Amino acid sequence: MKSISIHWRNKDIYYGIVVTECLKCGRKSVFKWSRCPYCGSRELRVLKSKGLGVVRDYTISYYRGTEDLESYPRIIALVELDEGVKLIGELVDVDVNEVKEGMRVEAVLRRVGSDDPNGIIYYALKFIPTLRG
Amino acid sequence: MVKVFVTWSSMIKVGRYFDKNYKELVKEVIDSLELGNKHIDYLIISSVLSARALNQLDISTMIAQYLGLNNVKTSRIETGESSGLAAIEYAYYLIKSNLAKNVLVVGIDKLTEYPTQVTNEHYNLILDYELETLRRVSPPNYAALVMKEYMRRYRVSREDLTIWPIKMHENAVQNPYAQLRFKVSKDKVLNSIVVSEPIRLLDTFPIGDGAAAVLLSSECSTECIEILSVEASTSLQFYLRDDILELPASKAALSKVISRSGLSSSELKNSLIELHDSYSIYGMLLLEELGITDKGSSWREVSNLDNINLSGGLKARGHPLGATGVYQLCEVHKLMTEGLGGNVFDGKYALIHSMSGPDYNARLCLIRRGE
Repeated sequence: MKSISIHWRNKDIYYGIVVTECLKCGRKSVFKWSRCPYCGSRELRVLKSKGLGVVRDYTISYYRGTEDLESYPRIIALVELDEGVKLIGELVDVDVNEVKEGMRVEAVLRRVGSDDPNGIIYYALKFIPTLRG
Repeated sequence: MVKVFVTWSSMIKVGRYFDKNYKELVKEVIDSLELGNKHIDYLIISSVLSARALNQLDISTMIAQYLGLNNVKTSRIETGESSGLAAIEYAYYLIKSNLAKNVLVVGIDKLTEYPTQVTNEHYNLILDYELETLRRVSPPNYAALVMKEYMRRYRVSREDLTIWPIKMHENAVQNPYAQLRFKVSKDKVLNSIVVSEPIRLLDTFPIGDGAAAVLLSSECSTECIEILSVEASTSLQFYLRDDILELPASKAALSKVISRSGLSSSELKNSLIELHDSYSIYGMLLLEELGITDKGSSWREVSNLDNINLSGGLKARGHPLGATGVYQLCEVHKLMTEGLGGNVFDGKYALIHSMSGPDYNARLCLIRRGE
């Protein structure tokens, strides 16, 4: 079951990609953290990612949960964003035989469910082979 | 200095218990406990899925009530897949700090209450719900990426890595409490269905119910099996790691255990060891991370390692989540005392390892036979 407040509160990370840059050690990490995951510093800057990157590795997943009925199997990819951070995500709109390492991808929003009758449609961030170059 | 001993252990065969609820499984495990004049100061329950699969909060109170244990201090511990060893960790510290003399630790989880798809969904919650689970990333996906990287870096074939499940199933044949007590061949592993490529069904743990219990006490009676140290650590998120072949929490927990106990590397290599092989690649990587074999070559040595996962490991004994760590201690206790399925370990040390997800947290428990 999905929560409206969780989705609303987390819209930055659900409907976009943010990157935390540490002003002390200089390392970047995907998502928002209260301290730098690498050095523990609180001097952080949050950047918005352009959502473009490269598939560094992937696995074709036949592991099935109750929410995997529509998209099966799934391609779960380790994507390195152009901002220099890695992120795990699902790769769609590509045949399992055509996915390869080094493939340029971009982040898109895809519908993952709705909670009728409240009328809320939930989206999740996924990757597709890039249309933006 | 207060010492902590394992004075009693009991478990049921991991499996499918459609005819029994969790309370009945716990009772079955506890039935052989004879306290004599001992009083249980604390009852610690380890259960991962109680709130989800059993619809039960405060499960430790429900169990205490069912067992007729009134006026007992009780709580539930949950740290994902390592919950069982975490419960042992807290029991250990209660005794060590002189707040208790006898602590009963029970691990209980029922994974077969729902179809596998539902249980998988529950299991996915051991990862970060907001950042991983909601994005449909599952624990086997991480293990798959680790296995691919291992094969690539060390130029190892998928076939070479079938040795882990083959060995684990061989070991489980001897363990009367194991869920999968049959041997598997290389072909059977390679032809089992794909879970998350290159991981196949026979690289992962089976789904089963389990209950196990240990009594930790400040005094031992006949054979003294002492817990020397329990250490734990956490680690970076998988996608933030520079090298996904490292298991940082397990490594940090090991260095704490070694600095606390002074265990030498030859003592470590001769120990009875139980590793958390939720996916076969983790079993092999752990051998390397703990320094038992060299990096990239554990798979060559697995068939000759006779002190590792005599239980059959998570792979073949099974992995009833919150009960698993307690099973590991039960097995070690039995192997060091009365024996387990005809196997006896007469060495001095035993080391138990447990972790959650891709080493998100890890725990190690070092055990020594009393002098």
